[in-house]
Amino acid sequence: MSLSLFSSLLVNGLAMGVIYAMLAMGLILLIRAVGILNFAQGDLLMFGAYITAALVLDVELPMYLMVPASLVFFALIGLIFMFTIYWPLRKATYPAATIIATMGASIILKELATIIWGSQPRTMPSLLTTPEGKAAVIRIGNFTLQGQYVLIIVVGAVLMFGVFMLFERLYVGRMMQAACQDPYAANLLGVPTILTISATYIIVATLAGVGGFMVAPIFMVRNTLGTLQLRAFAGVVIGGFGNIKGAIIGSLLVGIVESFSTVGFSGYKDVTVFLLLIIFLLVRPQGLFGEKIADKA
Amino acid sequence: MNPILRLDGICKNFGGVVAAKDITFSVYPGRVHGLIGPNGAGKSTLMNIISGIYTPDKGQIYFDEKEITKVPDYKRARMGIGRTFQTPRFLQRSNIRDNLLLGADLGNQIGYLEGYFGKKSANFDGDLAELMEIAHFSFDWEDDISALPFGQRKLLEIVRSLLAKPRVMLVDEPAAGLNSKEIEYAMDLLNMAAEKRGIGIILIEHSMDMIMDICKEIVVINFGCVIANGTPEEIASDELVIEAYLGRQEDD
Amino acid sequence: MKKKLNLGKKPPLSAIALFAAYALFVALVPRFFSGGYIIMVINLALIYSIVAYGISIMLGMGGHLLFSGIAFMGGGAFFIANLCSKRFDINMPTWAALLLLIPVFAVIAFILGLVLLKLSGTYFTFSTIALVQVCFTIYNNYKPLFGGPDGIAGVPTLKLFGYSFSSYTAWFYFLAALVLAVALLVERLRRTQLGRSLASVRDNETAAKTLGVNVYMTKVIAFTIAGVLAALAGGLYCLHSKYVSADMFTYNNATQYIIMAMLGGVNSSAGIFVGSLLVAVLPEILRSFERYFQLFWGVSIVLLMVFMPTGLAGLFQRLTRRLTHRFAGKKERGGKAA
Repeated sequence: MSLSLFSSLLVNGLAMGVIYAMLAMGLILLIRAVGILNFAQGDLLMFGAYITAALVLDVELPMYLMVPASLVFFALIGLIFMFTIYWPLRKATYPAATIIATMGASIILKELATIIWGSQPRTMPSLLTTPEGKAAVIRIGNFTLQGQYVLIIVVGAVLMFGVFMLFERLYVGRMMQAACQDPYAANLLGVPTILTISATYIIVATLAGVGGFMVAPIFMVRNTLGTLQLRAFAGVVIGGFGNIKGAIIGSLLVGIVESFSTVGFSGYKDVTVFLLLIIFLLVRPQGLFGEKIADKA
Repeated sequence: MNPILRLDGICKNFGGVVAAKDITFSVYPGRVHGLIGPNGAGKSTLMNIISGIYTPDKGQIYFDEKEITKVPDYKRARMGIGRTFQTPRFLQRSNIRDNLLLGADLGNQIGYLEGYFGKKSANFDGDLAELMEIAHFSFDWEDDISALPFGQRKLLEIVRSLLAKPRVMLVDEPAAGLNSKEIEYAMDLLNMAAEKRGIGIILIEHSMDMIMDICKEIVVINFGCVIANGTPEEIASDELVIEAYLGRQEDD
Repeated sequence: MKKKLNLGKKPPLSAIALFAAYALFVALVPRFFSGGYIIMVINLALIYSIVAYGISIMLGMGGHLLFSGIAFMGGGAFFIANLCSKRFDINMPTWAALLLLIPVFAVIAFILGLVLLKLSGTYFTFSTIALVQVCFTIYNNYKPLFGGPDGIAGVPTLKLFGYSFSSYTAWFYFLAALVLAVALLVERLRRTQLGRSLASVRDNETAAKTLGVNVYMTKVIAFTIAGVLAALAGGLYCLHSKYVSADMFTYNNATQYIIMAMLGGVNSSAGIFVGSLLVAVLPEILRSFERYFQLFWGVSIVLLMVFMPTGLAGLFQRLTRRLTHRFAGKKERGGKAA
């Protein structure tokens, strides 16, 4: 394999891995903040992609307006999602009920997208373009890297780093975790649970939406973008559940493996990724960074 | 008489905290053994070690002279180590009947396949009736567990444990949260279990009345170590015990 | 007032009513829909309900969400397709293939269960998703065994004791009887040791362990039963449609089965039957609203989970409980320690 092919696959893999990682991060945040699996995570990404496509293609906003506008939309979606899917079910005794509600949300998001924007996939232009309008390409030494991929990696990394810092280091993040682990006690301590949970959902929706926006030029905007979440699930498990760091690294790994397996087993690349997952589950169920579940009384 | 349960040099650390150090004592069939000590002394930890939820760092556990230190928790339950909890653990979504049947299932030890095709315990009804009588229970089997008040649930947990036909029972603070009548019934149940069914009982309690009343032998624990082991009279006058509960008298 | 412990020996009034309703259903459907498109859809609903029953054992009784049903369904379908349609010069009689399917998939499901159930709750769920993806990709790509995207055609229909099920009506009677049998088997399961042990795994795992339940093995057994039921359904699907292709067995379709199980009430055998019928039949009836129908469907699922997580059966139970309280007066409840 030539070095240039290798580097190209690596960058491609890392870029997709970053997308998966943003989805995975959102998943973990929701699990830790509200304790549910969100099976509509990928559809949040998909919807975000559609929204940015609409802003760029239909409303024709320039970039410096489109970015804040789309962020506003992502936040709105996050809030609506929370109030419709999570809030009525927060006291549910059947945890499966919340999960299935997210499945319903997934269907709703897909159908809304199709109803509003039609069933034809839409093409988003690449964000970095050469003066001729073609997708930008970055040359480092002998290597040629697709501009969009590099952009994904950079933007995604910055965003995830910011969210990670928020949750792990800042007081705000601790408040949110407290609200999740023991909402009653958190309330007594003056933590405004509804605010923290709303904030979590907004962050999650934004992560997904930005992911959608970034991935749109590569995949075309279509309502099946939601299936990307399956790779994120794999990343979460490989990295070790409940662990943001692990989820990110696991997802990056998934992206890279997926990218490299297109050489040789193109049709079977799904198999490679998910077999990797299953092998991981066998050999190291706590994932790369998960803690062994301690003995409890 | 051989002990039904024997602990030998049990040690357990959680990080830097010493939960158990060199714990050695024996439990005999048909006798109620008290396990007392100040809060945080390590009593519940010890129960968890005996029932298999925790594995000791050092030491052995013998059940009927067979070593069970490495045996998993559910197997110990099947061998006959029963347990109740401070806060009763029931299936909230099932009714009383199903919850009790869980205990009976353990007592009968019928496999899933045989159970599917209809084999049931011979003396289940009679067994249950006797226990219900002692506990002064009367309610509708179809009721949800949540319909029962706390005290009754604690008593019911003892009944469920007994249905499982244990040979050793670990009873964790049965009196907590019960009114005096209910405490009486709990003591009746435990006495019956020991005397009539020959079950060896380890009883954790803070209520000294109960302890002194039904225990033939008491083990006192503090900071994870056994500091005394003897009859109620001996324990009541033991200096170390008094110090553990009341503190040492300051010389002036 | 002491009551005798009722271990469920006498069938309550509600069971008799259910049987009567089912008998009515079986009698009326062929009368109105014989030979038509609708009866084919109902047949499919019956087949899908078998998968849903399997899911209900793991999900409703055991408290574990799983997507693997569809992977096993595909396995069963392709198993039958390969054995019965003269591929590789094998031409097994269909009844024999179906019988063989059960032990083969019991072993496969058991082994997979041993592997996957080493993981707890949500990890396990994700691993079943992985399984579905792996299986789907293999089904879709490995032409020699699975016919690739074109699938396998030319599968004969079911033949039992020389009788060939050549009409959808004939299939209907057969499936109606089979589904009844499966429902009864699952109901029985609920009331035995395995059902109770699963309930303890679902509701209070620590209590389960102290009550001697081998949590791991119990889950594996439940998983195996669910897998076999799904594979059986797959085999029947293949014989019924005389064709099978991989695109039936996707992750998206997997969610449909879970909804079938939950819609009617995941812990109610009657509910699962109703749920499956609804999920399979409603889209056909509301074809004209196709575009908005899916949206409506998604919204209904969310509303259902919010207001009726116990499904239609739970709703029904609450209604009847209120009615019996009204008419029969309050029951003698509770007990006091004298």
